[in-house]
Amino acid sequence: MAQNNEDEGSIGTSMHGVTAREQVFSFSVQGEEDGPSSRTVRFDDPTAKFALPVDSEHRATAFKPFSFARPHMRAFHLGWISFFTCFISTFAAAPLVPIIRDNLDLTKSDIGNAGVASVSGAIFSRLAMGAVCDLLGARYGTAFLLMLSAPTVFSMSFVSDAGGYLSVRFMIGFCLATFVSCQYWTSVMFNGKIIGLVNGCAGGWGDMGGGVTQLLMPMVFHVIKLTGATPFMAWRIAFFVPGFLQVIMGILVLTLGQDLPDGNLSTLQKRGEVSKDKFTKVFWYAVLNYRTYVLFLLYGFSMGIEMTINNVISEYFFDRFQLELHTAGMIAASFGMANFFARPLGGYASDISARFFGMRGRLWTLWILQTSGGIFCVWLGRATSLPIAILAMMLFSVGVQAACGAIFGIVPFVSRRSLGIISGLTGAGGNFGSGLTQLIFFSSSRFHTADGLSLMGIMGMIFTLLVAFIHFPQWGSMFFGPTSDEKKSKEEHYYAAEWTEEEKRQGLHEGSLKFAENSRSERGRKAASDRSSPSMPPEGGNPAHV
Amino acid sequence: MAIKKLLFASLLICSMIQSSHGATKERLFTDLEKGALEVTATPSRTGQGVILAAGVDKLSITWKVSSKATKEPEFKTIKVKLCYAPVSQVDRPWRKTENELFKDKSCPHKISSFSYDPTVKTAQSFDYTLERDIPTGTYYVRAYAVDAKDHEVAFGQSTNENKTTDLFSVQAISGRHKSLDIASVCFSVFSVVALLVFFVNEKRKAKIEQSK
Repeated sequence: MAQNNEDEGSIGTSMHGVTAREQVFSFSVQGEEDGPSSRTVRFDDPTAKFALPVDSEHRATAFKPFSFARPHMRAFHLGWISFFTCFISTFAAAPLVPIIRDNLDLTKSDIGNAGVASVSGAIFSRLAMGAVCDLLGARYGTAFLLMLSAPTVFSMSFVSDAGGYLSVRFMIGFCLATFVSCQYWTSVMFNGKIIGLVNGCAGGWGDMGGGVTQLLMPMVFHVIKLTGATPFMAWRIAFFVPGFLQVIMGILVLTLGQDLPDGNLSTLQKRGEVSKDKFTKVFWYAVLNYRTYVLFLLYGFSMGIEMTINNVISEYFFDRFQLELHTAGMIAASFGMANFFARPLGGYASDISARFFGMRGRLWTLWILQTSGGIFCVWLGRATSLPIAILAMMLFSVGVQAACGAIFGIVPFVSRRSLGIISGLTGAGGNFGSGLTQLIFFSSSRFHTADGLSLMGIMGMIFTLLVAFIHFPQWGSMFFGPTSDEKKSKEEHYYAAEWTEEEKRQGLHEGSLKFAENSRSERGRKAASDRSSPSMPPEGGNPAHV
Repeated sequence: MAIKKLLFASLLICSMIQSSHGATKERLFTDLEKGALEVTATPSRTGQGVILAAGVDKLSITWKVSSKATKEPEFKTIKVKLCYAPVSQVDRPWRKTENELFKDKSCPHKISSFSYDPTVKTAQSFDYTLERDIPTGTYYVRAYAVDAKDHEVAFGQSTNENKTTDLFSVQAISGRHKSLDIASVCFSVFSVVALLVFFVNEKRKAKIEQSK
């Protein structure tokens, strides 16, 4: 019986599980009416075996960062630490460039091009990673990246010229796709209500690796030199450290981790308990949504700029202010380390502004954070004294990193069906932006590095204006309100539009409708007044299925 | 609150870092007395297209105070340095020649320094083996005469003013070593094999469970 889904959906009326034609989750509770997905555990529920409270899909509804309980918190920690390790490897060369450039006789163009190459590989690997995780599970996705890119890190010992240096940095860069596998893993382990905070922490703490490496590598290099190695050999030996870390993390992920709350993917798939959406459909709806491209570019000028700075800032401080290698590294490290609180802060600021102003608040928060990051980047390039440069750099780091967190406060609302691909595409945009800015501003002798920094800040501010173009029919945008069309201004219409009539008949869009109901909070304070006047018939004259 | 902590920490870092020397900011290279020292540098192997090997080949360096030197009474120490020729500075802004002495990066490699004895008027010479951290490039030798306040007052170099004659080329050590190469291959193989072992094992276990 065809149901009319153009109404505000049959929330609260669906008889989920009754017809056996609905999408099955990894473990579903039979029979009852399905409320919103975060329900407390009942005392006779087999989910009581989990250390954290879980919902009906066994995703955790609480986030306890100090716990290592399996499977949820363990997956979180394994995920972010793997991502952290890959950031260390990808940017390990940056603080050692003053030594490497002498050993390999590099020119400024060689160094710049290698920097571009180091972030370009991940554009493609991040795009493919979503599909890989679907196929193999998050565990093997992560472990494959870690353990197959470890040989590329070790192969730095073979490099003898600019071409070799560029190829190795390119190959190491592929492992940045652990961003996608990490976010995928947390998304299957944690409930949608807290996923913003969880992903913000995982993303931010992983990004910290770009800062830690600026401290770690000069320190390791120094220690190796003390044992008697020449500088030109010591830096090669230093690269074994990130390589080891990757192999160790890969083994830990495989032995301690678990794909899904209920077990590993291969076991569950063979039992017929996990079904998936069609890739072509998911990809199609991602590509058709114009907001995907806007977010791609926006992330390119927040995360992209952050990664570019990871590559150039240590050398910049070393050369411009005549510092020691480890001093320059220390300053460069504090840029990346700010991620520890800056990115979660951005996500939190986005959530708070949404509480009062809805999606418009999120968009303005993003614009403010990213533009102030751009302003401080310009200031950093202009600074001629060390204390001012450090101050500008710290403010700049908080601005762009919080902007990264704020962008991922918006991404989950762009699409429900294609969330994975859009996250991956946004992540790839970060790498694209980094490659582009390094290519334009830091690969040739056309600009002094200081001018390059200022110009990059200006370019970032210009591209950040694109935030104004993100418009949701149901919530509006920075300057315009929601559409006045009665039908289109409902959240359900926006999210259900990603499914064909045939799929809706099969009830495949249930998850989207549930999400649409929960997303009504993006209307801001008005959502509270909406709830008091029931916008939907409580018992539902339209049952979802026969 | 976090911002305040950050600003405080950044101020701490700034105070810990040594500030650049104050008075030397204005000292310029063009103020130094040119040609006060006569310097020659003879490589141990000479000839057309000869490239010296770092860590192996030597330079025989001689220096002498020229009779034209006017600031000779101020000389306290003679510092001899290895400097980049213009061809090695192309597209490498970290080796740029700047007029302000504290910014100038064209002579980063210290060869030797001697305290100046005004009673000895003859040429001094010594041998210098090229260090193993000298990068590949084209070089000349320059000697600075430094006064009691550690400020340069005069200099002389082994090449002409345009730095085009008497240059020599050096090839750096590769920094590679067979033991490193072998270790690298071993760990890479271990990483790939470990992954495959886990993967195959798990597939096998899943198949067993399915057939149950």
